[in-house]
Amino acid sequence: MAQRLHFSSSSRPSPSLPTPNPVAASSKPNRLAFNFSFLPHPTTPTRLCFGTTNRRRLTVASDESAGGPGKKPLLEVRDLKAVIAETGQEILKGVNLVVNEGEVHAIMGKNGSGKSTFSKVLVGHPHYEVTGGSVVFKGENLLDMEPEDRSLAGLFMSFQSPVEIPGVSNSDFLNMAYNARRRKLGLPELGPIEFYAYLFPKLELVNMKSDFLNRNVNEGFSGGERKRNEILQLAVLEADLSVLDEIDSGLDVDALQDVAKAVNGLLTPKKSVLMVTHYRRLLEFIQPSFVHIMEDGRIIRTGDMNIVSLLEKEGYKAMSTS
Amino acid sequence: MSALACTPVVLRTPISVKSSFACQPRPKYRTSVSLAAAPATQIGFSDPFVLQLAETLEDSLSPSPLTSLQNLRDASSESLLSTPWPSRRDEAFRFTDTSLIRQAQILPVTQPPHVGKLAIGSEDTNFSHLFIADGFLMNSIPNASSLPDGVFVGSLLSDSSLGIRDKLSSFISDFQWGDMFWSLNGLGAPDVAVIYVPAGVRVETPIHLKYLSVEARESGSKVLPLSNPRVVVVVEDGGEIGIIEEFVSSEGNENKCYWTNSVLEVVIGKGAQVKHSYVQNQSFNSAHIKWTSVKQESTSRYELVEASSGGKLSRHNLHIQQLGPDTETEVSTFHLSAGDQTQDLHSRLIFDHPRAYSRQLHKCIIAHSSGQAVFDGNVRVNRYAQQTDAGQLTRSLLLEPRATVNVKPNLQIIADDVKCSHGAAISDLEEAQLFYMRARGVDLNTARKALVFSFGKEVVDRLPHSYLRKGVEKQVKEVLGRQAAGPTTGHRGRRKRSSRRAASAATRLNKKDDGGGGEVGGQFAWPPKLRSFL
Repeated sequence: MAQRLHFSSSSRPSPSLPTPNPVAASSKPNRLAFNFSFLPHPTTPTRLCFGTTNRRRLTVASDESAGGPGKKPLLEVRDLKAVIAETGQEILKGVNLVVNEGEVHAIMGKNGSGKSTFSKVLVGHPHYEVTGGSVVFKGENLLDMEPEDRSLAGLFMSFQSPVEIPGVSNSDFLNMAYNARRRKLGLPELGPIEFYAYLFPKLELVNMKSDFLNRNVNEGFSGGERKRNEILQLAVLEADLSVLDEIDSGLDVDALQDVAKAVNGLLTPKKSVLMVTHYRRLLEFIQPSFVHIMEDGRIIRTGDMNIVSLLEKEGYKAMSTS
Repeated sequence: MSALACTPVVLRTPISVKSSFACQPRPKYRTSVSLAAAPATQIGFSDPFVLQLAETLEDSLSPSPLTSLQNLRDASSESLLSTPWPSRRDEAFRFTDTSLIRQAQILPVTQPPHVGKLAIGSEDTNFSHLFIADGFLMNSIPNASSLPDGVFVGSLLSDSSLGIRDKLSSFISDFQWGDMFWSLNGLGAPDVAVIYVPAGVRVETPIHLKYLSVEARESGSKVLPLSNPRVVVVVEDGGEIGIIEEFVSSEGNENKCYWTNSVLEVVIGKGAQVKHSYVQNQSFNSAHIKWTSVKQESTSRYELVEASSGGKLSRHNLHIQQLGPDTETEVSTFHLSAGDQTQDLHSRLIFDHPRAYSRQLHKCIIAHSSGQAVFDGNVRVNRYAQQTDAGQLTRSLLLEPRATVNVKPNLQIIADDVKCSHGAAISDLEEAQLFYMRARGVDLNTARKALVFSFGKEVVDRLPHSYLRKGVEKQVKEVLGRQAAGPTTGHRGRRKRSSRRAASAATRLNKKDDGGGGEVGGQFAWPPKLRSFL
């Protein structure tokens, strides 16, 4: 499949590529619209570099009638604003993001820029309150849904520090969650034996032994085990959009490779991944199609792996728009 | 029985009473009553209700042929002369409302129930069962059964206990720490069940004591049949035994009223071990007061696992006295108050000798707005109890607005080379855990149920026998499921929420009424272990 690029902006020259959507070209200025269709392993980065020195915020909007198959937007975040529910402090100040099917996005940013908040707001964490904007996931308004409904709709978030649930065993928990999903899809639920048959290959995928199933959820797990448990849940639940919040933090090299291998193994043209990370290392294993830089509650820059190189060399100062 | 006329002018004139107690027509005035054998200077406040009750108990029993039992009765009646009914002003009953018993008419059960009424013999035959119905022993274990030689399980009154009685008399001694309920049992127990393990004998199969409450009245009748079961367990040096106590109402009595006032005395010899499991599933309109008094000699080990979910008023008084060094004590208790119930644990561990090791874990769940739980965990590390390692932890789960829990962990430490800790936490379910489950697609209701169940599981899993565990799990699920018919305060995770904080170590904490609520999502099927929640 050919890579197609389409963007239009009054301040930039447009490359000589077919523009399937001339309507968007005449839409608001300073807006860039992307339409991509990707192979399962998007190893070829885009060839455009979006380093810009002007002060305009770059926002990403999607085309509804995207040209070509498989470019349906999975997640559309427009101007999302959120505050901490208890203190009212504003954290997200207008986040715009579009994730299409089959894409891998990475969000990087300084500490306190709002990356984790963004992923928590997407999942519906009660600590945060949305004060503006909209989030559309697979055509449905995500903000109106309870966390369990969001999960059943196909959104999965792997927590940065997964909590322990003593007293509930891993196998019971996974069984509960999986059956909830199957019920939603109208499929018959699995009994314990069939579920184990379903679960076993997933265990191999994340390189965990089956004895951990009898242990309680995350109880006594090391950091690496907890992260791998998250990926196991992702594998079991077969989510459409996985938000991986700092999946690489606290992992040694081997564990990181296992996790990355598992995530890559789960990618399909229909599924997308949104990673929040600090380091280049994870991005080398799970190649992103887009890298976003978040600062002060907004996405200020979007690019590809080249941005990451720039970041590593010059730090966040080079990214800042000021 | 002589009646005593009282006028306001009469002051403290000792009056000797020949046989039984005197009725006091004017309860407001202090008078002293003394038995002929007691010193004339004994002055106490006699509570007429207590005296009347004691009198009724005395009348209901014929004098016992056993001197030890008769001595016990005499000593109990003497102490009852000067013991008032516990009021809210007494520290030990500050949080426990005994009006359920106080305002009822109390009828001691005088006859053992008809054997045909009970379903004896249909139990798991792997364990030795001893049935105690309304305080009367219904069977005894023939020695030819699976018990090792020298072990005796049966009634003190039966002939076969002849050899045991002398040994026991040295063990049934005065208990200084008893309260009115202890004395009432001492006075009113028709019989004493004895479990005796000679030195060095290890009893493989546990003894299952099943206490049945047969005599009962309809709820609302304000009449409480009273039964006083009493059991003594003596394990000589090096012996080992497991004891299971199960308190249930007999068939058809699940919602009726009665009062079970039971006492268990355990004496553990040097190096001996006793594993004690206590399961209480009494009727939800009944009163259940239980005393457990344990004496541990040196290097002995006592383990208690309790699961109480029944009774409208249920109180467990636990007293563990250390009589020698290097003892081990593990106490795990689980209380569930899922209706208009009060679950109370008053425990006292007294260390007078060095190098004791003890751990106490108390978990209670209050799942109803009128539910209440009380915990008073006293640990006394006295002067010679150096190098004691004592830990205590109590965790309470308040699930409904206006549910109440009163916890009072208290350590009284005199020795100076000890390691003692105590902790108390009272909270709702942990939000982080709930959210974690919701973020995986499990709806709020199911997640709450799973977490509530798993809260108690930590203690229930310590029950040594799987059939007990299963029984308790089933009971807990049933009780919680029945209660869950009402709305629970839910968390609304998306736009607005009110914050919820955990409080710790408070003496009295009421959960605030947040007025939130609503469950979202349907019911989802459970894995088999948790499946019966639906």
